[in-house]
Amino acid sequence: MPKQIAIYGKGGIGKSSTASNVAAACADEGHRVTIIGCDPKSDSSITLLRGRRIPTIMDLMRQGADINEEDIVFEGYKGVKCVEIGGPEPGIGCAGRGIIVAISLLKKISTAIEDTDLVIYDVPGDIVCGGFVAPVKKGLVNEAYVLTSGEYMPLYAANNICKGLARLEMTLNGVICNSRGAPNEEKIVSEFAKEIGSSLIAFIPKDNLVQICEREGFSVIEKAPDSIIAGVYRRLARGIMANNDGKIPVPLDDKRLRELTRI
Amino acid sequence: MPVKQKEPLIMHPRPSSIVAALYTLRDLDTDVVILHGPPGCSFKHARLLEEDGMRVVTTSLDESGFVFGGHDALVEVLEKVIKRFNPRRIGIVGTCASMIIGEELHEAVMEVQPDVPVIEVEVHAGYRDNTKGVIITLESALASGIISEAEFERQKHLLKEATEVEKRHGAASKEYLEPSRGDLKFKVAKRLIELIEQGKKGLNILNAKKETAFMFADINLAVDQIAKKLGAGSNIINMANLDENLGLPKNRRNAREIKEDLKGAGMDIHHITGGLDEYPVAGNFANEIIREKYSDFDFAVITGVPHALPMDHIKNMELFSITNGPRQVIPLKEMGHQHVAVEIDLHPKTLGINHIVESEFGATLRELARDA
Repeated sequence: MPKQIAIYGKGGIGKSSTASNVAAACADEGHRVTIIGCDPKSDSSITLLRGRRIPTIMDLMRQGADINEEDIVFEGYKGVKCVEIGGPEPGIGCAGRGIIVAISLLKKISTAIEDTDLVIYDVPGDIVCGGFVAPVKKGLVNEAYVLTSGEYMPLYAANNICKGLARLEMTLNGVICNSRGAPNEEKIVSEFAKEIGSSLIAFIPKDNLVQICEREGFSVIEKAPDSIIAGVYRRLARGIMANNDGKIPVPLDDKRLRELTRI
Repeated sequence: MPVKQKEPLIMHPRPSSIVAALYTLRDLDTDVVILHGPPGCSFKHARLLEEDGMRVVTTSLDESGFVFGGHDALVEVLEKVIKRFNPRRIGIVGTCASMIIGEELHEAVMEVQPDVPVIEVEVHAGYRDNTKGVIITLESALASGIISEAEFERQKHLLKEATEVEKRHGAASKEYLEPSRGDLKFKVAKRLIELIEQGKKGLNILNAKKETAFMFADINLAVDQIAKKLGAGSNIINMANLDENLGLPKNRRNAREIKEDLKGAGMDIHHITGGLDEYPVAGNFANEIIREKYSDFDFAVITGVPHALPMDHIKNMELFSITNGPRQVIPLKEMGHQHVAVEIDLHPKTLGINHIVESEFGATLRELARDA
């Protein structure tokens, strides 16, 4: 069975950037990788496809298409298999239901989530409804990672996600800090990770290079392979591939969370 | 990218896949079914199915259930069901509400760990063809080892055919179908007796869906009885989809019961065309028999699902169809059936019974024949 991971975290914190760079770094090391974008914005795989937007599962279903694997699975950087679930415009319909439906279809028609070494589910910001945990509930995820910065709100979201994971009896395999340049950030996130029963597995410094590469439709792994930040992603990717140390997280109460961010 | 033409919208209400799942669970001899959803979902059928001895209960999800999830309610109801009914087989059926919010039926089952089989059916009513509800149920029954792979494949084929039949000449054939009560039974019966009296040769075909045969068979029986009474018994050929060795347990049982009743009333079935669940394909078999032996007959009485019988070799006969679908009248007329009668509200009267029940058209025929 492949390693099946989901990366959770507050909206805008950098899940897609992290997911695509980890995917590219793993592909560089010869692993077969599949990335499933679960956000209605459908931008998880765009930097693996040189800025190209691929048709989403929900768009095709809406058109009434007969969907085959080749219509929804696209090869990106070094053979990374890219799938975007898609969904409605903000404010209408039900994106959660979209994920449930798309995941069931994917299971039925595609081998991309089985015949591979690593599957990355890039899930939307918060677990706001049942649909957003469909990959976990359908048994398609066996490791979860939480991405956060050292600021209060992202940590609050991360803690909330841990509540969801604990409820689902899902193990957390590590906390990743995507730095926003807050004071004492590494220390704060490291302490948070420890207190919820996990550990900080990577500190990704703020680097404008990520933005520059993304704007042109690339991961840093592809566009700036020798950069320092590319090295950080490579280490994280190796860490994830070697990681089999998951624990069900124990979320903190809000008071402790506030104290933590004042370190 | 092969984008297929989106199927046209159909506006009139049609059978629900949740209800189809309930009926399938009944055919699988399920004792209790839990509908995981709002209290009123599928009420009418849930109630009717109790007549067949299957209990249906609901988790009664309300507004806060939709918002906060219904896992605890499902666990509670499942535990209560086990305690109260001591069932040997349980079904859990989804609804639109619980499926949209992403309820996992399996989680509750894992938590409760019942020591009897549970068939989990993740279904909602948003499928174009209600047969989807049957397929999902059978998939789950297959997964829990309740039916064999062979039976599953057989059922799947039949359901595909049933869907096709409805698309060709049934309730899914038009954007909107006006409901109709059909032709006046008195007039139709009079004409039918007239033909029998004239010594015309007629086919008397039962092609009914499952338990509806309990009432449709009464019409075929009345035709046979009247023909005999009028000394024209040998002019009538009887066909019926009453093979007792095919289908899910209940369907086999029902076929046997109906056959025994017909035999007891002195009616011979000359050709068995299939099982009670084979109404979508049994018509093709009847079609072949007619081509070989009876294509020169004068009239045909077809009860149940008359639109599943191909017109190939009956188009020159005078056709008498009896259906229970008010929306089936127009399509049957368009196919070329001269007389179409509707047994209104037939289905409820065929639940909870194991003998043939009187039909309105059968009663009309018998009454008219008294004076003949």
